[in-house]
Amino acid sequence: MLKATGISVRFGASTVLEGVDFTASAGQITAIVGPNGSGKTTLLKVMTGEIPGQGSTHLNGSDIAALSPVDMARKRAVLPQAGNVAFPFTVLELVRLGLTSGLATNDADHLDHLPERALSRVGLDGFGGRYVQDLSGGERQRVQLARVLVQIWEPMLDGEPRWLFLDEPVSALDIGHQLIVMQIARDYARAGGGVVAVMHDLNLTAMFADRVTLLGEGRVRAEGRPAEVLTDHALSACYGCVLRTNTLPPAGGPWILPQATGIHP
Amino acid sequence: MVALSQMDEGGAPAIRPGDRRARARGLRAGLAVLLGFVMLVSLGWGAADDTRVLAAIGARLGLAEASLRDITIIWDIRMPRMVTAALVGASLAVAGAVMQGLFRNPLADPGLVGVSAGAGLGAVAAIVLGGFLPAALAAFTGAYLVSFAAFLGGWASVIVLYRIATRGGHTSVATMLLAGIALGALTGALTGFIVYRANDDQLRDLTFWGMGSVAGATWAKLVAAGPIIACALVAAPFLARGLDALSLGEPVAAHMGIHVQKLKRIAVLTVAASVGASVAITGGIGFVGIVVPHLLRLVQGPEHRTLLPNAALLGAILLLIADIISRTVVAPAELPIGIVTATLGGPFFLWILLRNRAILES
Repeated sequence: MLKATGISVRFGASTVLEGVDFTASAGQITAIVGPNGSGKTTLLKVMTGEIPGQGSTHLNGSDIAALSPVDMARKRAVLPQAGNVAFPFTVLELVRLGLTSGLATNDADHLDHLPERALSRVGLDGFGGRYVQDLSGGERQRVQLARVLVQIWEPMLDGEPRWLFLDEPVSALDIGHQLIVMQIARDYARAGGGVVAVMHDLNLTAMFADRVTLLGEGRVRAEGRPAEVLTDHALSACYGCVLRTNTLPPAGGPWILPQATGIHP
Repeated sequence: MVALSQMDEGGAPAIRPGDRRARARGLRAGLAVLLGFVMLVSLGWGAADDTRVLAAIGARLGLAEASLRDITIIWDIRMPRMVTAALVGASLAVAGAVMQGLFRNPLADPGLVGVSAGAGLGAVAAIVLGGFLPAALAAFTGAYLVSFAAFLGGWASVIVLYRIATRGGHTSVATMLLAGIALGALTGALTGFIVYRANDDQLRDLTFWGMGSVAGATWAKLVAAGPIIACALVAAPFLARGLDALSLGEPVAAHMGIHVQKLKRIAVLTVAASVGASVAITGGIGFVGIVVPHLLRLVQGPEHRTLLPNAALLGAILLLIADIISRTVVAPAELPIGIVTATLGGPFFLWILLRNRAILES
């Protein structure tokens, strides 16, 4: 269980988050959606301990303020938005960096093969020898995901779920790889882990998320199952444009279509 | 990479594509052997009567017989100089690698960005102002005081530089280099002011020392600075895991379980200790800190767990070779070693700049 209570963040005079409550359960994908500047990434950063904020965050019952970096690294891994790599690492060397902390096992043979298994999982078989700096943006994003997966490969540790925090995990990916990455997140959740993902693509959110939190101007606008949250009214009000929601077979989830004609007043 | 993995298809356990650790281990063995060889050459082996050199080395260890004159030349004149060059070379190379990891930037070098100048200011202050201490106290603290003051000067410089160049976990290359120039100018001016107050004997010391030289190496100086360098060399490998993680940025390193603030504090202390102690015995010797880690990254990759030990070995080798060159090109006179490293390192640095244009212009 991930439980954040009363999260407020101010940068100078501007309020980024105002009294946000957020919960996520293990075994599910919980998506955070909302327009640019609504505070999605900031909320994720507060809950992963990257930036301080008012309020408290409890991960599996422990206040994250009281956890050491190593304890945190054992419980959760974080995929940030694109960042640069300072030195010319090969793909294998970079993914292997995920083996630094909080390993679930000492089995050297298993750990030795983990980077290649993670690379295979994200669709980068045979990329181990390439230089990270020579890859495309989407390939780099998947290399980072492989590194993150290596860090918390087993979704459960000591009877506790581990957590995958994803900040716009599919933003640089083509449609095929978007599905691969979302499926990895789903499999992680189905195996008992928890997944919290900041998402831009509402349709992928509708397709894969078990719960959705809709943020607008630093506050929670709606929270619930995708069909409850992703509605014409809530989305149009939040995103400031006319969005039509339909139901598509076969899953019966919502399907969001922007209307080019109507910019919301 | 590709060539290597293809080469290996034949027999032997296959090298994994992208895994350069085996190569780094092989390199370490090769460098260790080469270091041993260069050390012997530095003691005179190959230049004179080899058996006499070896006998003199062995004599103090009770392994051979040699004349008192040979033993004195080897053990009291050549040996401290050889050990100094090796230790300072290792220390500067490791300091460079750690600093580049800390600043997440292959162009950071203690000599380039004013850290050596800061350490120099500390050392000069100690040499000149130490003259005002009561004679007995000065004799007792002499070399130690210079080492410690150089360490303090280097430490202050790294901290100031880091504060200026790094904001929110991101280090700006341009800001770092420019701040380094400003810092170097300022400490240079302060150093000049103190030198102005020096007496004639001190001036002579300062001049030779300022060009960077291992000629004045003695066991006494080594005893004062060696332990500090040794501590830094021993501490450095413990930073490897954190520096690797830091390559991905401070937030990512923290997510991976690295205590980033602690890492940075220890890295800064390590750089200050190794640069400060080196500057205290040999003065400013440039470019070792940037050339060595860069060459190694090309061959074995940027992982610090293999980079740091290999940097120590290659740094020692390079400075020993530079010392041999400095003693032989204008024999029987000799060049200050700093001039040799600058002559070799300057063009190399330009080459690195050209290779890293993309980073600089971003």
